[in-house]
Formats: sequence, C-alpha cells, structure tokens
Amino acid sequence: MAYTFRGGIHVNEYKLSSESPIELLPDPSEVRISMNQHIGTPAVVCVNAGDKVEIGRVIGDVPKEALGCPVHASVSGTVKAIESSLVSAGVTETYVVIESDGEGRLCDSVKPYGGSILDADAEKIAGVVRSAGITGMGGAAFPTYAKILSAAGKAELLIVNCAECEPFITSDHRVLLEKSAAVIGGVKTLMKAVGSPRAYVAIEDNKPHAIKKMTEVLENDSMIDVKIMKTKYPQGDERQLIFALTGRELAAGKLPVDAGCVIFNAATCAAVYEAFLDGTPLVRRVVTVSGDCVKEPKNLSVPIGTPASALAEYCGGFVKDPAKIVFGGPMMGLAQWDADAPVKKNTSSILFLSNEFLGKPSSSQTCIRCGRCVANCPMRLMPAYIAQSVMRDDIKGAERYGAMSCVECGCCSYNCPGKVEIVQYIRTAKNRIRSEAARSRSSANDK
Amino acid sequence: MKKDSNKISTSDGGMSAEAELLQVSSSPHMKARASTRSIMIDVIIALLPAYIWGICVFGNRALLIGAVSVISCAAFEGITQFILRRPVTISDFSACVTGLLLAMNLPVTVPLWIPVVGAFFAIVVVKQLFGGIGKNIVNPALAARVFLFSWASDMTGFVKAGDRVNSLAVNSGADVTASATPLASLNSGALPSETISDMFVGNISGSIGEVSAILLLAGGIYLLFRKTITWHIPVSFIGTVAVITYLFPKAGDSFDFMLYEIFAGGLMLGAIFMATDYATSPLTSAGRVIYGVGCGVITVSIRYFGGYAEGVSFAVLIMNLLTWYLDNLGMPKRFGETVKKKKES
Ligand code: SF4
Ligand code: SF4
Repeated sequence: MAYTFRGGIHVNEYKLSSESPIELLPDPSEVRISMNQHIGTPAVVCVNAGDKVEIGRVIGDVPKEALGCPVHASVSGTVKAIESSLVSAGVTETYVVIESDGEGRLCDSVKPYGGSILDADAEKIAGVVRSAGITGMGGAAFPTYAKILSAAGKAELLIVNCAECEPFITSDHRVLLEKSAAVIGGVKTLMKAVGSPRAYVAIEDNKPHAIKKMTEVLENDSMIDVKIMKTKYPQGDERQLIFALTGRELAAGKLPVDAGCVIFNAATCAAVYEAFLDGTPLVRRVVTVSGDCVKEPKNLSVPIGTPASALAEYCGGFVKDPAKIVFGGPMMGLAQWDADAPVKKNTSSILFLSNEFLGKPSSSQTCIRCGRCVANCPMRLMPAYIAQSVMRDDIKGAERYGAMSCVECGCCSYNCPGKVEIVQYIRTAKNRIRSEAARSRSSANDK
Repeated sequence: MKKDSNKISTSDGGMSAEAELLQVSSSPHMKARASTRSIMIDVIIALLPAYIWGICVFGNRALLIGAVSVISCAAFEGITQFILRRPVTISDFSACVTGLLLAMNLPVTVPLWIPVVGAFFAIVVVKQLFGGIGKNIVNPALAARVFLFSWASDMTGFVKAGDRVNSLAVNSGADVTASATPLASLNSGALPSETISDMFVGNISGSIGEVSAILLLAGGIYLLFRKTITWHIPVSFIGTVAVITYLFPKAGDSFDFMLYEIFAGGLMLGAIFMATDYATSPLTSAGRVIYGVGCGVITVSIRYFGGYAEGVSFAVLIMNLLTWYLDNLGMPKRFGETVKKKKES
C-alpha cells in the first residue's frame, strides 16, 4: 500500500518530459543572477561592473549572523552591470549581469572538501553547505545550512522529498534516475550532519523507474528506505508528507523538526554531495522546460541566471504563443512579468502556457456552495467561507475560518465549479490580518 | 485578468513575433473543467429517468407541466436578472433544475398556471431577491411547492399510476378520478393497498416525479458516482426516517412499515435531490450529517403528528434555515490541531 494523506485532489499530470534525459545547456551569452536567491537576508553584491569572474566566484554575500548564503557566478566572463528591477511579487531585486566569455573557467576557490565526512560534525558540514550557497531547491528556498543547524540532534527521521506532485515537473525525477549516487551521497552527508539514524526517500507511484532505480541502489542499505507515495496533490507538501509517512500532524506554524523530521529535496541532496565531492557551489540546476507551448519539453542543466527565453529557444521554440510563463508548477508557481526572467536556485521548472491551456478567466466568480473546497482542503479549512468573509470585508471571519493556516496549495481554487479565485482571496486575507496585527502592535508600542 | 507586463522578447525567429502581453494572475494556473453548468447538467441527467417514468404513467400532461415549469423558471430568471442589471446566467441551467424539480413535485392534474406561479415564486422571490445562485436561504422549488399549497385542492389532485392524463388544456378537466396516495393511508395508520414492489417501481399515485423510488435511487447513485453530491445527506436523511419508522411503526410489521414509509411520498426525491441542494445545505461533512438527521426527524414528526400529508418539504425548508449554524458547528478540526492539543495536555 502506498502512503498517502487525507483530502487533496487528483490533477492531470502532464509529465511530458519524464523520458527526456538531462541535457547540459551551453553557457548562455549573458546571465542575470538575482541576489534574492533564498528566504532571509538578500545577498549584498561584492563585485563591480567590469570585474572578471570565473564559475564559483562569490558575487554576493550575506553577513555571517544573518539568515542567508552566498551567491556565486555561474559562468565565467565579465560583470556587465549591477541593476535593480521590479519583479512579479512587487518587490525590487538586485541582479548581477555577467557577460559570458564561453570559456567556463573555474574559480580557484572551487576545491574538493579536504577531510573525511565521517569526521565532520553538524557545524562543519553546515559551513561547507553555506559557503556552497545551497538552498532548498524545491520551492521555498530556505538556506540549507540553517535547516541543518536547526535540526541537528532533533530529527530522528530525514525525508528526501521526491514526491514531485506538481504537474509538468520532472526535474527531480531525472535527478533521481541520473544522479542517484549523488543524491544518496548527499542524504548520507545530511544524515551525518543532523544525526538522524533513518532516512526515507519518498517517491510518488507515478515514477516507477525512479522507484526501481532507488530501490536497487539502496538494496543493501539498512538506514535509508524507499517509500512509495500515492500520486495525489499536494503529496509533496511538507505537512502532508510527514503525515503520510509518520501519522503525525503538524499544525500551521510548526516546523517539521517539531515532529522529529527534517525534509530535503532530492536536488538539494545532490547539490550537497557535489559541494563535498569537488567543491562546486550551487551554480547550475536541473530545470524542466515544459508547458503546452514548448516544442520539445526537456530537462536541462542550466547556469543560475539563465533567462527563461534561452531555455525555450533551446527546446525548439514555441508551437503556440505563450500567454503565461510560470516558474515552478502550475498549482503553486509564480507567473513572471518577463520572458527573460532568470532561473533561480529554486526554479524547478519553467512552464510556457497558452491561452487555450489556461482557459478563459471566468467573468463571474460565484460560489454555489458545492462544498468541494472544504472536502479537498488538506489543511481542513473552510475555503468558501474565508473567501466569502473577505468579499464582505470581514477579516475577523476570514481568520476564524482558517486563513492563516492556508498553505496556498490551490486545491480549492482548482476544483471550484463557480471559478472563485479562492487562494487569491485568502492571500488578501493573510495580508490584511498581518498588517492589522502589525498596526495593533505598533499602536501598543506607542502607548 | 491581464495586467500590464513586459512584452515577450523576440530575440530570434523561433520565438513568438507577436507582441502579446503576459498574464501574471496568481496561482493556481490550471483549473478543473467542472463548472456550475456541468454540475447542473448532471443533476438534470440524474432527474430524467424518474421524470420520464412520470410521463409514462401519468400521461402527456406531465410533459407539458414540465415544459411550462422549466421555461417559466428560465424566463423569470432572465427577466429578473435583466431588470436588476445582473449578468444573465440562464445558460448555467440552474433555473432549469429548479423548474424540473418544481414540476416533479406537482400532481399531474394541476392547472397550467400553477407551475407558472410556482416558477415566479421560486426564481424571483426565493432566488433572485436573495441575491441569486448560491445566496438563497431556502430551496426555491420546495418553497414554491409549499407556497402553492395555498391552492390546496389543485395541489392534491393525485391520480393512479397508469390513469394517464393526456389533456393539454389549462385545466385538466373533470374526467380525472383523484386517488389517495399511499402516504395518506400510512398517516391514517393503515398499510396501503399497494404492494411494496409497486412502491419501489413507482406504480402508485403521487406527484409526477416522486413515485419511482428505484429510478430516483439510480439518479442518486449517478450523482454520487459523478461526485456531484456526497452520501452524507441522503443516507442520514433516509436512514433516520428508516430507523424511527422501524422502531415506532404505526401499523403492521415494523419492517414492512419502514419500507412503505421510505418509498412513500417525496422522501426519495427530497432526500436525494432537494435536501442536497448546494445553496441551502451545509458544506461540511459533519454539518451535512446533522442536517440529514434533522430532516429525517422532522419528516417523521410531521407524518406522524402533523396536519399535512407530506413532511419532507417542510422538514427540508426548516433545516435549510439552520445551514449556516450547522456549517459552523460542523467545521472540521484543522490539520494538526488535535495532535497539538494532545501534546499540550
Ligand atoms: S468549491 Fe467553489 S463553489 Fe464550491 S463551495 Fe468552494 S468556493 Fe463555493
Ligand atoms: S484553503 Fe489553502 S490549504 Fe486549503 S485547499 Fe485552499 S489553498 Fe490549499
């Protein structure tokens, strides 16, 4: 029996690129590397326009005490500009633009880890992971070193999240198949770091090849098990993954470590291994390029900072005009303003979606009270009532019906026959609740 | 939902040359196909077998009444929305569902103005004046039916199944021999003369669409299969009626009495198609079960002690009013909440 959770939805999988091996994208002529690669403090640029850089040279760093890790050059060449621009979320980000010389020279600082991992403690491993600039590569982009330090000694179970429950995305699937040794090596390093005696590699049952491969590789390993998960969205959500595997429910606001677990993404594990093996920092990642507009959906290993348009071009261009470009999956990903938006450390996929795929946005959003959203919500909230409260401007009501516990998985909006943009209403509610809380705090301080 | 955005770059020939604007609306970026309209079509499909049976046993007039009712409902919906300057949404077929349900709740002998008045009350007064689909507080078709009881003699002209009424005149004519429904004899404390299998198949007198238990059940199973409804309301409603009538039979063998009670009157139609009306029933599972039990208790109480022959309509209408409270009562425990409490204690 495959492991699973309650609620959630079945979505069309569209795993168009699951059979395409990872291809190495040649260095693009120019990369734009964002300094906002992770949750926490954005990196501060530490190069100047005109500087020569090589692959792996630190171009942005954060102070030691702050949450964050360095950002490295992903191609060799010349820093052309340092610029700021507005991104989709409405915040300004700083970019380092590097013109590639196509030589792919490595920076001198890129060296294999000297000692043996067996002698390394959490502190030491976290140090290497931090200077390699490794962040969670699945979605939230939490700096991995910080996760290691917070989980060290507290996590009895390490979970490798290979659910990949979002439609279209196949990058982790390919990483498991083609870099299984690196993934396992990373898992072992991370187990050593956090001191957890067991690890589960959790794979959805729609990836039988990956399950077979990992089972073979781990045949004689008594500490790491492959766990087969039922294909259901959002199986890859941390809370649902932990529940499916351990039966423990983690309330909103709690961290996996509160349930004795620590979760890493498969690509993150492979990156950790590479940081130790040859010292390569996180400068390339595997990105699924897919969507109904792309001629040949592929999985590409690309330098961080490569513009989306270059990836589409490598995949044979478009068969249809894209109306939306999404970084991440179709359920939770972020729509981009710009076709040249650059790949970041957490960009697992770039989707080019047409108007036909997206469907006409409904002119009327009318809740018919069918109850699907309530039945599907994996957090067991009352989505319809939250949306209704927001429409009536009743923010207290939205809070009572669970707005702050929403993980924004999108199950509710996906299945709503009345085409209500429930998640959007919930985001509004969250923002208002937060700003009201901030206001009452500051007015309390004034007194 | 297009917003301002940059143009797609056209750096080479392979890329789009059109200067399209990119959409940046928020996630999710894909949606299931099911819509209000597809759901309403499913409900219509589920109702049709029982309605067609009604036409077969009660005659062509049943078809005419259905047509008048459906067309009036759709027309009133369109006209009201036009007058109130709301978007006209006849094409979501929700008014057609109301019209069909209303017709199925009427005896075949009613004068033709009855469904028109009923449609007006259902659509204009109960649905649109309360804000339209999803916002009405009570079930439009049922409210209209109860309103139409003001013309009690017109509303109780039931005929035997097989006594087909084919008159298409405004008034069905005097040649109709009214016949007591099985429910009437059950309420007076005697098992009806019809056999249980007649009741199950629908060889009995009653409203156009309520007589065939088996076809209504088939429609219900279709809706369950299509995930249009969940089991909670029909099962708890019919189950409650079954348990009470089995424990406190008014006549004959308690098991027989129970079967008669659940196949009689509008229980099947009401529990499967009316009580499950989205707008007027709870959307939490627990709320739905309490609601179904409440419907069952009130139905039997009215059948046992009330003056009206049929309790289903009133029971559902009363429980409709409690929907909001039941949803708050039945609000599920949030993910992780139970565990958290255990840890703390
Ligand atoms: S899924 Fe949509 S229509 Fe159904 S109850 Fe939720 S918000 Fe209303
Ligand atoms: S309310 Fe939030 S957690 Fe629940 S289904 Fe919707 S997006 Fe997911």
